[in-house]
Amino acid sequence: MNEGERPPSADALASVRGIFFQECEEQLAALEASLAALQEGDADSETLNAAFRAVHSIKGGASALELERLSAFAHQFETALAAGRAGMLELDGSVLRVLMRSADKLSDLVRAAREGEDLDEQVISSAEADLTALAGPQDDSDDDSMFSGFVPRAAEFAQFDEGAAETRDWVVRFRPYADLYAKANEPLLILRDLAELGTLEVTLNDGALPALDALDCEEGYLSWNIRLRGACSQQAIREVFEFVEGDCDLEIALEEALPVNNEAANTETDTPRTNGDASPPPSAPERKAALATPTSPVAQTIRVDLERLDDLANLVGELVINHALLSQRIASHGPSSASVALALEDLDHLTRDLQDSVMAVRAQPLKFLFQRMARVVRDVESATGKQARLIIDGEDTEVDRTLIEGLADPLTHMIRNAIDHGLETFAERLALGKPPHGSVKISARHRAGRVIIQVADDGAGVNRARVRQTAIARGFIAADDQLSDEEIDHLIFLPSFSTAQAVSGVSGRGVGMDVVKCGVQALGGRITVQSVAGLGTTFTLSLPLTLAVLDGMVVSSQQQTFVAPLTTVLETIPLKSGDIQRVGANLDVLTLRGAHVPAIDLLDALALRTEPARAPSRFALVVEDDSGRRAALLVDDIQGQRQVVIKSLEANYRNVVGVAAATILGEGRVALILDVNSILGFGRRDERKSPRLLAVG
Amino acid sequence: MDITESALQQVVVFRLGAQEFCVHIEAVKEIRPWTVATPLPHSPPFVVGVINLRGAVLPVVDLGMRLGVEVNAPTDRNVIVIVWIRKQLYGLLVDGVCDILAVAETSFQPAPNVAGASADSIIASLVSEGDRLLSFIALEQLLTSSEAVAA
Repeated sequence: MNEGERPPSADALASVRGIFFQECEEQLAALEASLAALQEGDADSETLNAAFRAVHSIKGGASALELERLSAFAHQFETALAAGRAGMLELDGSVLRVLMRSADKLSDLVRAAREGEDLDEQVISSAEADLTALAGPQDDSDDDSMFSGFVPRAAEFAQFDEGAAETRDWVVRFRPYADLYAKANEPLLILRDLAELGTLEVTLNDGALPALDALDCEEGYLSWNIRLRGACSQQAIREVFEFVEGDCDLEIALEEALPVNNEAANTETDTPRTNGDASPPPSAPERKAALATPTSPVAQTIRVDLERLDDLANLVGELVINHALLSQRIASHGPSSASVALALEDLDHLTRDLQDSVMAVRAQPLKFLFQRMARVVRDVESATGKQARLIIDGEDTEVDRTLIEGLADPLTHMIRNAIDHGLETFAERLALGKPPHGSVKISARHRAGRVIIQVADDGAGVNRARVRQTAIARGFIAADDQLSDEEIDHLIFLPSFSTAQAVSGVSGRGVGMDVVKCGVQALGGRITVQSVAGLGTTFTLSLPLTLAVLDGMVVSSQQQTFVAPLTTVLETIPLKSGDIQRVGANLDVLTLRGAHVPAIDLLDALALRTEPARAPSRFALVVEDDSGRRAALLVDDIQGQRQVVIKSLEANYRNVVGVAAATILGEGRVALILDVNSILGFGRRDERKSPRLLAVG
Repeated sequence: MDITESALQQVVVFRLGAQEFCVHIEAVKEIRPWTVATPLPHSPPFVVGVINLRGAVLPVVDLGMRLGVEVNAPTDRNVIVIVWIRKQLYGLLVDGVCDILAVAETSFQPAPNVAGASADSIIASLVSEGDRLLSFIALEQLLTSSEAVAA
């Protein structure tokens, strides 16, 4: 049993819907990517096909799950895209804008369907009307039957098929697996779709049906032999099955090409199949290989329940703890033989490799997240009337999946702020000689075991005068406080801080940056800001790559043990009397090779001192926080470096100031992992400047 | 905690000082012997600290202090009741667990509202079982004051 069991949940249909919505996310991302590519001038017909397929898939699933509004809208969208594919619609700027807005509305509809909400019908209808206008006059305006059968659309397909102009006889063998039904697909609808390609002659093959008492009602026993006469390409036929391709046996061939002996294979009894098992019955691969040429490659991926991955990561974490424990116990028995030491070292390597592999399993590229930001940019553009270009860099950088979800909100806020507050208006920019379209650049890269994400705009930079005034007015600082430019910039992270004159619909409600900061910290990350007046502002997020394990320096004071992340530790110094000197009323200072660093007693900073100190601290741990500030943490003992497994406090409690997370030491006791940033915040500012009060001494 | 669902409610009864309290059995995950908790900085005084439960770190609340009931200093005769509160795990430090009882729904009576008694909202109802008076605890209320403290 690991990190917090989850209480039991219910509902099997929910899982089918769940799968559909998951796939919708993927389709929407693919759609966004294709439309973005088209906007960049990509003229490859495959790009438009990809967009079409994405919408087609969503439509298929939506109508199967009876999500009427969604499937109706998707149908209109699909029609417009089909017109584009057929060359009947030129994809110029205004058309692409309509398509992108429609993609946004489609995404909204998916979300509304998932949450069970309603959307503003007017907005959707007007978007639909735009799409209909694009598609031009259509013969089947009958909305009730999505698959209104025999209105011939053969001409449309023939136009974009390469070389398949003449009518041919196709033979299609279609045998669904249980999964196809489990995912709420309906062969009837597929057959109707097929019927649009030409004349169909369908024969049911029920030879695989067992006797009634052996029947598993969730299994797929039926198959169909279909003769299709039409002027369509194999590609077109395959596309009809696209949504279910992995969940059935599918053979498409011209009539002459079929081997004779296929009836026997069709009457095999199915072995029962569980969800997620991707291996088809043995004869299928051979038959497939002998026939139709494959079009899209079968994706070598597997969908895994995230909970299982979390459990796996936890177990690996426990393994690391156990290994550390073992090493300690062996070491405490005296010097070990060379073979034992060697074996332990091998174990260490294996454990680290295992850790890396598990982390890699959970890693995903930031690409989809960044692409979603394109939508945010569009929304803010229309809300503020400013125009902004989104530049993306390093989208293939991989991070743990939980980071991606946690980053969505902070990134959205930052982009909104950048456009709303950072960028000047069109006119202002022209007057300043800047390019009229402001730009917002999001970039990501790995560096020194962390992920660095930056959001940079080329706007006016932080308005330091206004920030300072607001901070004074809110009582965060005093009027005569001296603050460096950088310190003023960081004031924007204070709670409920906003200098926006008018509360705009987009931002300006003053919860922006401190919410972003909390969000980033909750992921174990840090955020800083750099700004140059007139040139722009850059926010830098630094996030840990491996969420689970940390190299730390274990220290203790008064029987309480803490762990400082090794990335923050600069050095450890044994103290002699006189090393620490008092300056002014309540600041202690350690002189280190000529430089003076503030000395902070660790227990006092955390308000965990239960009895007065019997003797002065014996060690100083010199640490550095994210903005480069240094301090010496005073402790009684330094126990050494250790690799520890990070246990979240927020899983069962909440964020605690001064503490980044917790870990479990060899004896089973919990030790706190220090948050150096906030601890240095304590020692640095006195009561007036910071809302986080700490009475030292 | 819908107490109208069935006629009989199963509750776990535990002791704090001279008083007896109870919670719904479904809210209880397990009962552990007392272990030393690691104190947390800047936490309310009734949050004793955090403990390790087979790899999960969870906070321990001194229930007596929270309710304002007279209790002795914690020793290893104390017991920690691990409960679910809103999908998070918490440990409640109590003197001991006495019973598991099946109590008729009709025995639950709303706790009388007395101005100034701070334990009010936490004690949701009173249960009479023979001679015994059990205070039924609304677990969600245990945290409200600490949640109001800015993190």
